Amino acid sequence: MLKHILAGVGLLACTAAADARPVSYEGGWTAIGETDRASSSLWVHYTPHYEWSLGGRVEWMRDRDLVFTGAQATHLVHRRFRPDSQGNLYAFAGAGVTEGIDGNPRDAEAAGFVGVMADWETRRWFVSWEARLADFGEGGEAMQAARVGWAPYEGDFGDLHTWFMLEVDQRPQRDEPVTVTPLVRFFKGPVLLELGYTPADDEPFASFIYRF
Amino acid sequence: MTRILAAASAAFLFTLSPALADDHGEHAHDDHAHGEHDMQPADMAMNEDISAALAAGGSLVTAEVNGMVCDFCAMAMTRTFGRRDEVAAIHVDLDTKVLQLVIKDGESMTDEVIRDLVTRSGYETTAIRRGMAD
Repeated sequence: MLKHILAGVGLLACTAAADARPVSYEGGWTAIGETDRASSSLWVHYTPHYEWSLGGRVEWMRDRDLVFTGAQATHLVHRRFRPDSQGNLYAFAGAGVTEGIDGNPRDAEAAGFVGVMADWETRRWFVSWEARLADFGEGGEAMQAARVGWAPYEGDFGDLHTWFMLEVDQRPQRDEPVTVTPLVRFFKGPVLLELGYTPADDEPFASFIYRF
Repeated sequence: MTRILAAASAAFLFTLSPALADDHGEHAHDDHAHGEHDMQPADMAMNEDISAALAAGGSLVTAEVNGMVCDFCAMAMTRTFGRRDEVAAIHVDLDTKVLQLVIKDGESMTDEVIRDLVTRSGYETTAIRRGMAD
């Protein structure tokens, strides 16, 4: 059931690479969804202070028929400003339970993860890196992802912004431990949408952010 | 099946995005004027909302802001300042990295408050000017 709810919601999520602003302005809400080669997830967070966000997260690890449900806190450790650029370092942690679905008989077990994210961007260039250590009740697992992006033009506030990006992710526990995902990002006002494809796993990539 | 759902969901969300994106703020203050991109703050053509608020007797404040590189940055500013009753109009220009505010006639907002609100938006003010540029 949860599997279908997740899919119906639009496969929103933030697993590894969801990078754009995990902490918002004070009082802001953000819904982030992502489906990548390994999982699909939905993360909704609130920013009570400009250095923190707190939210709920559901992540469906599709290949293992496991679902994590829990809370996630993200801290803006450092933000480096320049007139034409911004760099951010974030730390995050989550805790909750994982449980088998869709025929997986595993009972609910405590689960959690910790990680770091870093990004730097101008209106033309974007680079990011993220790493996560998790225990979803099946022993520790790690992943990391790095991304580079380029915008062919600079739009102003309210324009449609377009980015071409390339993401490399490493998940040592998978059959294809390292994959490359080209993707395109569309960004306009409070909405960000990314569409891509991971050839090595023959899986689509989609992510969505809505800030409200 | 998963892939089909993912693609369908993404396509659906994308068709929604232009409509959603029309919401730049909660206050109807925020706006963007295209075609002003290469101008310096002092030379910027006046945004319509800013002009109207000035015509109603408001006073102009221009803040230079570091780190504004995307629409989320601009939206953070418009929504944070849009909650303030003393603010009549807001305009963010990503090209010139300025935040323009019109403070209502009879109201005031100190530099300290402006800096604090920019900080709460997640950014940093480098300079604040009041009144029209020479």
